[in-house]
Amino acid sequence: MLKINNLCAKVGDNEILKGLNLEVKPGELHAIMGPNGSGKSTLAAVLAGRDSYEVTGGTVDLDGVNLLDLEASDRAREGVFLAFQYPIEIPGVSNLNFMKAALNGKRAHKGQEPIKAKDFLAKVKECSSLVELDGRLRDRSVNEGFSGGEKKRNEIFQMAMLEPKLAILDETDSGLDIDALRVVSKGVNAMRSSERSFIVITHYQRLLEHIVPDFVHVLSNGKIVKSGGKELALELEEKGYDWLKEPSHDTSNV
Amino acid sequence: MSVFTDKFSATLPPPTRKSERWKYSPIAKLLNNEVSISTEAAQGMNGWPESVLPNPVLSLDAYLVVFKNGVFEPTLSDLPVSDGVDCIPFSKMDPSASLDFSNGYHQKEWIGELNETYRQDGLCLHVHRNVKVDRPIVIHHLTDGLNVASFPKHLIKVDEGAELNVVVWSSASERSSGMYNGLLEASIGPNALLSLEKVCNEGGKVFHFSHEHIVQERDSKLKMHTFTIKGDWVRNELEIISRGKGTDSVFNGAYLPLGTEHIDNHTTMDHTSSDGTSSELYRGIMYGDSTGVFNGKVFVRPDAQKTNAFQQNTNIVADRGAAINTKPELEIYADDVKCAHGCTVGQFDLDALFYLKSRGIDEKAAKALLVEAFLGDVLSSVSSTELSEEIMNLYTERHGW
Repeated sequence: MLKINNLCAKVGDNEILKGLNLEVKPGELHAIMGPNGSGKSTLAAVLAGRDSYEVTGGTVDLDGVNLLDLEASDRAREGVFLAFQYPIEIPGVSNLNFMKAALNGKRAHKGQEPIKAKDFLAKVKECSSLVELDGRLRDRSVNEGFSGGEKKRNEIFQMAMLEPKLAILDETDSGLDIDALRVVSKGVNAMRSSERSFIVITHYQRLLEHIVPDFVHVLSNGKIVKSGGKELALELEEKGYDWLKEPSHDTSNV
Repeated sequence: MSVFTDKFSATLPPPTRKSERWKYSPIAKLLNNEVSISTEAAQGMNGWPESVLPNPVLSLDAYLVVFKNGVFEPTLSDLPVSDGVDCIPFSKMDPSASLDFSNGYHQKEWIGELNETYRQDGLCLHVHRNVKVDRPIVIHHLTDGLNVASFPKHLIKVDEGAELNVVVWSSASERSSGMYNGLLEASIGPNALLSLEKVCNEGGKVFHFSHEHIVQERDSKLKMHTFTIKGDWVRNELEIISRGKGTDSVFNGAYLPLGTEHIDNHTTMDHTSSDGTSSELYRGIMYGDSTGVFNGKVFVRPDAQKTNAFQQNTNIVADRGAAINTKPELEIYADDVKCAHGCTVGQFDLDALFYLKSRGIDEKAAKALLVEAFLGDVLSSVSSTELSEEIMNLYTERHGW
């Protein structure tokens, strides 16, 4: 499904990804762990198409489409979804209008008619119950005045609405208390299927107790330096990252 | 139709950039222009351009008062005829019966003197005590032709406890040039309500100047909106004087100029009496090489204790060539008051834009959502949804969202 080959990216003069390779097959869930500054969030942003990052080399292929050629909105329409580490507040744009525009954008891309109001509301109801997002939050402006946990639940709600092929979860566990973590994990697990793949970026093994990965990768200094099964996360929890770190020659990136 | 042409002649000197009030809106290119000034009605739809409808807001159930190039068009108008509302153009009434008040603007400003000298007509509108006018009154001004000028002045008096909604809409056909110089003076009696929407949607190259002067008596309420949809060179001046206790003044505005358009909003809120509240919100998005001015003065005089005044001007500069000059000015002479003001110039929120795009909304639709949200606070207080929807539609159509 997803093949990342020798991906290099920088912000300004700062090289962050330095030849990253990763293959994700349909239905697989890959966890990416690694120390601060190793490039985890950069990978998420580059895959989603944030243009403040400059891709300097490599390819990203999603089912035969080179994602790097596409605008962020077209990547989403091809089935990429990024759950943000820090979801953005957009005062004045209602959550529901936002989702309707997103769904219809995706449908237009596939040559489908805009969704019927009744079907849309039924879908909203189903997806919001998945993450226990109450009506009050659904009807408000996007993320405005939401707590940290509510914002993360709203991300998973949006994921459920848009039914992506590839979902990238960027530190979805940060800022969550135990109950919210459980709700969010439950939502993600309900979305797992043989056709949908996940890349879950996290600092902590804790999340992976709830969302069990098929593979765990360690990202350090812009490359994947070790891959393994779910037991690798436990090993990292115990030993930290130091034993895996590649020596960095770039002192500005420490 | 008879017209005459004239170079503007006035005893007051035209404003120059040396005057602070005109520093960012020079008018040099207007001077020495020969203009035609119509004096007779153009016989209804004969000579009315196809591109403009006589009724600018078809969805709104309203009375209609139409002027073309400053001259009243009786056959296109639909005036209210009911007890308690006197609504007649000055040209059609006995002068002794007409309202007569003036803030003396013509003695202060060259622009005002031109209006006084060349005025053709205007609406005299008097709503009597406790009368609530059943429908909005739309005053539609059309400019049509090369180098034409119009000089209307409307007088509005809303007596104690009465309620009135007026929309002043100005249009111009694409072939037009010249000047629109419109004045409006209103007095709002005790406990009365005036809602006033001013919309400028002018094609061509018309120098659009308007000055609204509104005096509020005790416990009266003003809801004013100034929308600039389109206009080559526009200056909106608004002056509100709170003369009685406990007045409430809400005045909001929006402007989204394109190309080389110039848009200037000068507002003055003068609290002279106690317990008044005022709330001002102007929002603008500057595109292309457009230029803009916002100047908002708030005076709180020594007797205006317990005043609560709020002012905000928020601007987005969307393109590299665009510019806005914005200046809040507060003069507070009373000590027990609340006054807040804020003034920002920024860009589209790139984080919000990326967030929307990351969900499959293309850049154009994402920007449209952000613009609609940005204008939402200004549009939501407009007195009718028909009007606010029409205004949003015109912005949408013009900007191709």
